[in-house]
Amino acid sequence: MTANALRRQSFAGLPAGSGGALPALTLVGLFFIVPVVALLLRSVTDPEPGLQNYAALFGSGTYVRVFFNTFLVAAVVTAVTILVAFPVAWMLAIMPPALGSIVFGIIILSMWTNLLTRTYAWMVLLQRTGVINRALMGLGVIHEPLPLINNLTGVTIGMVYIMLPFMILPLVGSLRAIDPMTLRAAALCGASPLQAFRRILLPLSLPGIAAGGLMVFVMSLGYFVTPALLGGTSNMMLAEMIAQTVQSLLNWGLGSAAAFVLLAVTMALYAIQLRLVGAKRLGGGL
Amino acid sequence: MLLDYDRLGWLRAALAGFTALVAAFLLLPVVFIVLLSFGSSRWLAFPPPGWTLKWYQELLADPAWIDAALTSAKIAAMAAILAVLIGLLASFSLVRGEFRGRQLLRGLLLTPMVLPVVVFAIAIYAFFLRIGLAGTTTGFVIAHTILALPFAIIPIATALEGFDKSIEDAAIVCGASPLQARLRITLPSIRIGIFSAAIFSFLASWDEVVVAIFMASPTLQTLPVKIWGSLRADLSPVVAAASSLLVGLTLALMIVTALLRRRLSR
Repeated sequence: MTANALRRQSFAGLPAGSGGALPALTLVGLFFIVPVVALLLRSVTDPEPGLQNYAALFGSGTYVRVFFNTFLVAAVVTAVTILVAFPVAWMLAIMPPALGSIVFGIIILSMWTNLLTRTYAWMVLLQRTGVINRALMGLGVIHEPLPLINNLTGVTIGMVYIMLPFMILPLVGSLRAIDPMTLRAAALCGASPLQAFRRILLPLSLPGIAAGGLMVFVMSLGYFVTPALLGGTSNMMLAEMIAQTVQSLLNWGLGSAAAFVLLAVTMALYAIQLRLVGAKRLGGGL
Repeated sequence: MLLDYDRLGWLRAALAGFTALVAAFLLLPVVFIVLLSFGSSRWLAFPPPGWTLKWYQELLADPAWIDAALTSAKIAAMAAILAVLIGLLASFSLVRGEFRGRQLLRGLLLTPMVLPVVVFAIAIYAFFLRIGLAGTTTGFVIAHTILALPFAIIPIATALEGFDKSIEDAAIVCGASPLQARLRITLPSIRIGIFSAAIFSFLASWDEVVVAIFMASPTLQTLPVKIWGSLRADLSPVVAAASSLLVGLTLALMIVTALLRRRLSR
């Protein structure tokens, strides 16, 4: 009791225990909230008050195509990431730890390696005269080099590579949380492995898949570096367009409007994510 | 028996084979870039016609690369220290505070992690242009501290949640001041969380590209900005050498982390 009373008094005038958050709140308020709000205001005031930036954004075929591409790439990346991550997470969840730790080590190494380094490696691997094309031609699978870079294929490979750890690690957690007895019971009751998978394992891991998938989708929507380096000009994504509009065209009004659209979509999906997993578990994959 | 490793039957071979393939996929670019950096072909032919160290010599002889690396290290170290200190204070009130809007505050402080970096990048760039911090080390550190803060708060708050507060209360009952109890009982107990926070916030700044591209000036470049510029110009093998050194650094960091965690958790 005394201890609690002491702590409550330590920051007079403030709600109990909130004082420690003040530096963080000041920093985030001053250098995060204020600039972002100022940017959003700019989308309706620059060059003159009105909604003309949004009209330009949604009225032009070019920008609508950028929106479409962004959602397409994010959706494809999310779907492929889930399909690849699930079996791996499944194996990792039940594997003997000694063997599993090697795979975990590889996942962490790939995740911690500098983002540009990884993207650079894929640029070299996927180019026309790159190792992958040469190997496929050497094996006689193809006769002409495949266009693997500066298009949707390149972006998908590079992005799935980056997103896999963010899907695998949380999924291992949610698969480990499933009681193996439920599956033993299903088998005892005569369910075939396929039935047990479809009616027990998959539904029970669905919350984990949904949470991880949503996170990958949101991260992909706003990704800048990898699409800019591995994608083509015909399938530019929103983040690259925003950067270009501001940096090269110096069109702050239009850039801010596009940034606001990206922010609104991201925050809406973030809210769903919070509902799904709760604020506490967000970022649990760290 | 789908979750029983010993009774998976043929499925186990299939899953293990697939896992091995994905592990190889994850390892491929990392190994490839290291091999490539020792290859003698300027056009990045692979397998290389011969082996050489000349790209490393070229890299280390170029003051621009060394400057960029030092700038990155300086900014990342400052951002990590700030993020851990501010995050530590914030974690105490997020985990133990009893006030309305605590969940909202947690959501707010974690938002920089979720918001697309490019939005924050142009927002802070515009703001810094106006107040004269664009292209300065101070501006860099502030922007990177904000991006690193969630990576500091999450491990510290998680560690603090796992710490039994009655131990701290016991120290206070035995005569320690609340501050003493926190410094000498609580902080040592959550040191693994603090240590992870330091590593993650350092990496968050060290690897950050997007804000850095906007914030950089001709005289102030971080390593990722330098690599980005080289990648846009050509695919020079010098970048492979720089990348390999970064891979080496990552490996060293992973080993140190594993060793320290083992020692700290004893």
